[in-house]
Amino acid sequence: MKEQVVCKTSEIQPGEMMKSTFGKQNVLICRTPDGDFHAFMNQCIHQGAPLDKGMMCGATTESSEPGDYQYCHQGEILRCPWHGREFDIKNEGRMLANPDKKIPSFKVRVEDEDVIVYK
Amino acid sequence: MPKHQIPIIDTDIHERVQYEDILDRLEEPFRHYIANCHWIQEKHMPYTQPSVAGVDRADAKLPDGRPAGSDLPFMQEQLLDDIGHEAGILTSALDPSPSSMHGWHEMAAALATAYNDWQIETWLDKDERIYGSVHIAAQERDAAVKEIERVGPHPKMVQVLLPIDDIMWGDPYYHPIFEAAEKHNLMIGMHHNEPPVYYGKWPRYFIEWHTLIPTAHMKQITNLMFNGVFEKFPNLGLIMIEAGFTFIPHLMWKMDQQYRDLRHEVPWLKRKPSDIMREQVRFTTQPAEELTKKEFMSLIEQMGSDEMLCFSTDYPHWDFDAPDRALPNMDPELKQKIFADNAKNFYPKLPNPKEG
Repeated sequence: MKEQVVCKTSEIQPGEMMKSTFGKQNVLICRTPDGDFHAFMNQCIHQGAPLDKGMMCGATTESSEPGDYQYCHQGEILRCPWHGREFDIKNEGRMLANPDKKIPSFKVRVEDEDVIVYK
Repeated sequence: MPKHQIPIIDTDIHERVQYEDILDRLEEPFRHYIANCHWIQEKHMPYTQPSVAGVDRADAKLPDGRPAGSDLPFMQEQLLDDIGHEAGILTSALDPSPSSMHGWHEMAAALATAYNDWQIETWLDKDERIYGSVHIAAQERDAAVKEIERVGPHPKMVQVLLPIDDIMWGDPYYHPIFEAAEKHNLMIGMHHNEPPVYYGKWPRYFIEWHTLIPTAHMKQITNLMFNGVFEKFPNLGLIMIEAGFTFIPHLMWKMDQQYRDLRHEVPWLKRKPSDIMREQVRFTTQPAEELTKKEFMSLIEQMGSDEMLCFSTDYPHWDFDAPDRALPNMDPELKQKIFADNAKNFYPKLPNPKEG
């Protein structure tokens, strides 16, 4: 299967996410606050937790200095429901603590009201 | 056994009670203090919660809003049936958890009794795979011994829980607790509560505290070792719960080297500390550091034994270890030991067909 409608745009509000399937794969559709859609494998690369049970939130950033927190990327960070590992939705699902690792992602496009995942 | 070749003995499962569950099992005036005076167990960790759902797996919270670990059918579905557990040992959680309570000895002792009754009725009697831990208010020694005598003979109680916090349990004053445990074929399980890891204080960040929890476990092992607990109670075993295992070789080497120099101070120790550890001390695997197979096998070799590690998930807590993901691949014989046989050989009251 090369492409599939996974949901309607109205089903996910900005800052929210939902699980779906793409063929036989469990996928996670995230809608960032800017309205964009992103699709990932719905399984943490660490120990396999279901990511849809986690949270979309912001993150303290690497520009923070000791004792001085900088917090941004509100709604653009996916946190695992188990160990709390953070993944940057808008940066290919890369792990904040180790950007060499990322959640496998899928391409997404929107046609009319359809959110379409494709390879 | 849907997903795994080896039926697992899970040595750390956190069931959770809520105050209303045990009120009718509490004697007065302790019920009054909770029901009418709103007493709750004090906990004071001064940090943000570590993960998405506090200290729990976010997907372990019950659909009706009750906290993770508070419902047997849900735990069966998400853990015991799904993974294919042969057995699991309950170690309780948080608030109230009488085995980890500070202060107010009378309330702690009453709470332990109510909790043990609740645990037996709600969990041990309801699923043949689930085994339990005797909760005691160990700071109240004589009441603790009495409680071990009361519920220790239950066929599914396999250990006595002692908190790792600010009391060192090797002191001879507490030896009657070990004597009572040994008498009933109960092992000692130690799980950290809120141990001071920075010179009696909290460090600034949770990540510092959580990184250094193994140091609090090392203190208790060292304390029991040199106070002669293992020599005095040769049939007693100690299992250290939830500090991982990478510190074990260091502690064995260090205690052996110190013993060679300083034996004169602890002449009641007849065996090398490392031998005592191999014979009487066990460690749950979670939270496993992410080791390669080479690193893991090197560590086992440094321990001089592949019988010290007992697999644990820590369900339903946030730093849960998945049985098929947490440890590196290993040969089937070693896997059988770590995931099942080591625990069966350690706990006298777990069914163990090999021993007939």
